[in-house]
Amino acid sequence: MASVRLESVVKRFGKVVAVNNVSLEIRDKEFFILLGPSGCGKTTTLRLIAGLEYPDSGRIYIDDRDVTFLEPKDRDIAMVFQNYALYPHMTVFQNIAFPLLLRRKKLGLTKDDIKKRVLEVARLLRIEELLHRKPGQLSGGQQQRVALARALIRRPKVWLMDEPLSNLDALLRLVMRAELKRLQKELGITTIYVTHDQAEALSMADRIAVMNKGRVIQVGTPDEVYLKPKHVFVGTFIGAPPMNVVKCKIEDHDGRLILSCPGFEREFPPGITPKKLPRTKEVVLGIRPEFIEVTDKPEPGTIKGKILVVEPLGSETILNININPEGEETIIKAKLPKLTKKYSAGETIYLKIDWSKVAVFDAETGFALT
Amino acid sequence: MSKKINIKKRYLALFLIPGFTLVAIFVISPIIGTFIISFETPSGFGLSNYYSVITQTSPTKALVLLNDMPRPPPWGALIHNLVWTAIHLPTTTFLGLVLAYLLRRVYGRSIVKSIMFIGMVIPMVVGGLIIRFMFDKFIGIVPNLCGLIGLTWLDKSWTSYPDTALLALIIGSVWLWTGFSLTIHAAAIDSLPKTYIEAAKIDGASDWQIFWKIIVPSVRAATLTVIVMTMLWDLKIFDIVYAATKGGPGGASTVLAFVMWLYFALDLDYGKAAAVAVILTLLTLIPAAIYIRQVMKRG
Repeated sequence: MASVRLESVVKRFGKVVAVNNVSLEIRDKEFFILLGPSGCGKTTTLRLIAGLEYPDSGRIYIDDRDVTFLEPKDRDIAMVFQNYALYPHMTVFQNIAFPLLLRRKKLGLTKDDIKKRVLEVARLLRIEELLHRKPGQLSGGQQQRVALARALIRRPKVWLMDEPLSNLDALLRLVMRAELKRLQKELGITTIYVTHDQAEALSMADRIAVMNKGRVIQVGTPDEVYLKPKHVFVGTFIGAPPMNVVKCKIEDHDGRLILSCPGFEREFPPGITPKKLPRTKEVVLGIRPEFIEVTDKPEPGTIKGKILVVEPLGSETILNININPEGEETIIKAKLPKLTKKYSAGETIYLKIDWSKVAVFDAETGFALT
Repeated sequence: MSKKINIKKRYLALFLIPGFTLVAIFVISPIIGTFIISFETPSGFGLSNYYSVITQTSPTKALVLLNDMPRPPPWGALIHNLVWTAIHLPTTTFLGLVLAYLLRRVYGRSIVKSIMFIGMVIPMVVGGLIIRFMFDKFIGIVPNLCGLIGLTWLDKSWTSYPDTALLALIIGSVWLWTGFSLTIHAAAIDSLPKTYIEAAKIDGASDWQIFWKIIVPSVRAATLTVIVMTMLWDLKIFDIVYAATKGGPGGASTVLAFVMWLYFALDLDYGKAAAVAVILTLLTLIPAAIYIRQVMKRG
């Protein structure tokens, strides 16, 4: 198995910098996810690792071997594409066997060896019955499995996946998520997986690299990127609904620092002590919707708000609350698992925030102060 | 319900009448007319037109002339057409496909494709004239190149000699027609998802393997269209021959359509001209049938 290392990789398309100085270290047997919105450079990064693009500068290593300018076929990788890229004129068997057939002489395989290996992989992915069919006769989920089988047959060092689940319907996606994760753990293949779906990333990854505008913003475990976002972008990109952001000002009241926010004031720091204060004295508070409780009556430290919209989601309810009814509308979403009371729009309520879990970002740079 | 459908059908027929009338007057009736004329002889109806057309031994009008083989042309118009197809069809089809594949990554490929397509845009009579110039001893590129590389026996005006006239026309027609194959194949290759080729690259395929194992089978429908259209074109060919060699020298480059024209325009022998026309039409039905069957198969 293998580790993958990217060192200051840059890729430009004309004037657009698609991948901007990206350095990553992917460990052996790791399920590593590149997460970001469309156009953030995650797919280009994957294609650079695959050898489908070459970087303008920087190096790429697989197992300490410099592969930066090697052809894809010489990197010992396999890739699953978003549209699966199954060859329509070949049967499922031929599709899966294709990578082996191309290397038959090199690997010294007989036709029986190939057949055996195809059956083995087909059994693993439960597609034995489909081997004689053409891709056009398969459902999306079945095509997905065939694509996975084709990527597995060679027992590659690294598995690359470009949004492999995004063409499946929501229910099947959930099933395949778990299955893919189990398969990856069973086989222990280093996997680099690209997705824009934060839920997919959180549920599958060992570690996540959150990307935006060609840069890696944060690398960490799902818990780290969820609970300790290094940048306001990470907070607002991950989570459903995402982190609430409230822009506040730090004011000096005779030596006491006061945080002045729309609708409420509070002593600064609100929770954890920041390492340094921002230059502009302006901060952004990042409050996860699930770290907010609501009550009907004011208590010390609660924030008054007015419900704008109630979104019941079955197991939980999301309240859209304006915390600044007197001034400029400032909406905060609160995610409440169990509601003891039925709320409706227009009601006044009081928000209790778990300040120990509130992130504080520099309003100018967006980076976390804590 | 059925009444509704009947009304619909009646309307359908009403709308079909104008189009069908035009087709009947301008397409079907001339075909039937030609068919009838081909059987008309001074002594009533019979097969004598066909008989004399097929057994004709004058080199300029013969359809099949295969005595004393092997020898240079004339071999008869029908054989010339078949030789033409045998060389021209695989060459243009394959050349267009390979060029389409190679050009796919070339900067400015649309310019190259447009230039190649000119061969199809210019009137075929002009094409014939260009072929004549291309193979001229003094100004032609081909004889001069042949002279340069030491093939002195080809350093002559190809269209003036029976052993090279037909070949000159065939090579010239490859040059004229490759743009068609290139354009159709390029469109087919462009419409393939890029990931097919990328997946094959990652799977370990070389450029050559990608071409044979992925591209060729994936653009089969386009290739079939090219093959059928080229076969039809090869059978119907007339204007190039007319402009470049007039079927000469000594009938060494005649083709079916040209022989038909000779009977019709020079001999004013409409019966025989019609007989050649019917033979030609029957031959063109072969590729048409192949095509229709394939299209039906694909549903």
